[in-house]
Amino acid sequence: MRGLPVAAALIVVALCAVPLVVHDEYFLHLFIVSGVFVIAVLGLDLIVGYVGQLSLAHAAFFAMGAYTSALLFVRLKWSMWAGLPAAALLVGLIALVLGSVILRTRGHRFIIITVVFAELMKLVATNWVDMTRGFMGLPGLAVPPLWIPGIGTIDITAKSHFYYVVLFAAIVAFLLCRALVRSSVGHKFVLVRENEPLAESLGISAFRYSMIAFVVGAALAAAAGSLYAHYVGFVSPDLFNFSYVTIMLIMVILGGKGTLVGPALGAVIFTFLPELLREASHWRMIVFATILIVATLFMPKGIIFPLITHLVPRNWRLRNARAA
Amino acid sequence: MPALLEGRGIAVRFGGVAALKGVDLSVDPGEVLSVIGPNGAGKTTLFNVITGRVRPTQGSVLYRAQPIDKLAPFRIAQLGVVRTFQKTEVFGALPLVEGVAAGALARNDPDPAERAREALATVGLYGKAHLTAAQLSYGDQRLLEIAQALAADPKVLLLDEPASGMNHQESRRIVDLIVQLRARGLAVILVEHNMHVVMTISDRVIVINYGEKIADGKPDHVRNDARVIEAYLGAPQAAHAVAR
Repeated sequence: MRGLPVAAALIVVALCAVPLVVHDEYFLHLFIVSGVFVIAVLGLDLIVGYVGQLSLAHAAFFAMGAYTSALLFVRLKWSMWAGLPAAALLVGLIALVLGSVILRTRGHRFIIITVVFAELMKLVATNWVDMTRGFMGLPGLAVPPLWIPGIGTIDITAKSHFYYVVLFAAIVAFLLCRALVRSSVGHKFVLVRENEPLAESLGISAFRYSMIAFVVGAALAAAAGSLYAHYVGFVSPDLFNFSYVTIMLIMVILGGKGTLVGPALGAVIFTFLPELLREASHWRMIVFATILIVATLFMPKGIIFPLITHLVPRNWRLRNARAA
Repeated sequence: MPALLEGRGIAVRFGGVAALKGVDLSVDPGEVLSVIGPNGAGKTTLFNVITGRVRPTQGSVLYRAQPIDKLAPFRIAQLGVVRTFQKTEVFGALPLVEGVAAGALARNDPDPAERAREALATVGLYGKAHLTAAQLSYGDQRLLEIAQALAADPKVLLLDEPASGMNHQESRRIVDLIVQLRARGLAVILVEHNMHVVMTISDRVIVINYGEKIADGKPDHVRNDARVIEAYLGAPQAAHAVAR
């Protein structure tokens, strides 16, 4: 149990050291993208892993956050520092309205409505040409300078600098989600997931607690989308593609849903894995798909935790079991 | 003084089927009211109406003289009207304390885990608190359900066949437990097929057949009622009701 804070500190130090060690721009780019995914996927874990609703609207929330932030920048000259919270707030509000309708259902009906919502939002982004420029997208987004009290203004456009912004945001998102799931609210999430009719019969509103997870999750996705938009410098309707929600679900489910740490690690692994498999050229998607299918079929707890169980010495685990 | 919980003329129609036809009932603190009747008579529907899962087509449910029949199930539970289910409902994968704490969490108790341990102690499962619900025997799961309900601090406790599928010794534990809860001042509404249990602990019994209340009174009185005997044993329609 005493080992965990030390381990957490070591991980943070190691993550801080990444730009000092990794000078390859491409690998740094992958680290930044995986950090963005960590934020989005933590939000998805609240919905899928903690209250147990399979939402396929999550990538749409991500894209809407990217678009909100991009539009505020292009049309109103708002910098990312204003655009990011605005995107999180607006998308959170949209999730509140959407949730007040669809969180009254569960199971396949909920899943289908979230897909429809995501497709509708894609149509809006594509066809509202006056506002979004349709397929042409919105180019020219910039990363604003960062002002730190006592130090002054820093240019963070370089990858090695922007990495720290994303890292900081990911750590904040993680601590926020951890505080939430460890609170009585998070305990109620799990009770709703485990047995909704029973939780209701004992006085817990499944609707209210699903809503909290849904709105917080959507806001996190939007924040991640905002970071991504300004980092890449361009948004287009491609952000709404179904492949984004697929990869996010893979990160959550194979990472180990309902654990926060698992999906966060999943975000890193499944950002890097397809790229590392590039060595295998045209075989890589087949190898990747095989890993996914096998893991989905035979590893219901995801791939990370069973792996730890196999690799970490048994006596160490037993000593630290209570902390896990 | 009005009763703690009162149902007035409760009627429920599902499409063309009348599941309940104007049933009245009332229960007071420290009283055990049993609801009996053949299968399909409408007993569980009555529970569903009282706990807000089914809206009555007609009639009303009053708790402390306030209507509760338009409230959501979780709201009714928070007020202190809490049920168990005919088919065992537990939080299978969770440790007992976490699942039983649900009711205490729902009313924002400052120490839900402690309330959970108290409830587990009341039903005699304290020694198994480290297990998960799925690891318990069927009989223990039925007791766990009662612990779950108790942690929600009920004033009215509705038990749907708590002794079903239990052997004699296990159903004795249920009887002892209900007697203990009544002594604490809880109002208990009991649906039960085990007539030994019903006749031992009920203060009053109401009998429902085809959605209609056909008898209401002390256990001895109800046992000798001609319509009750007919509903259970006599007429062909009773056999038909059982077959359904």
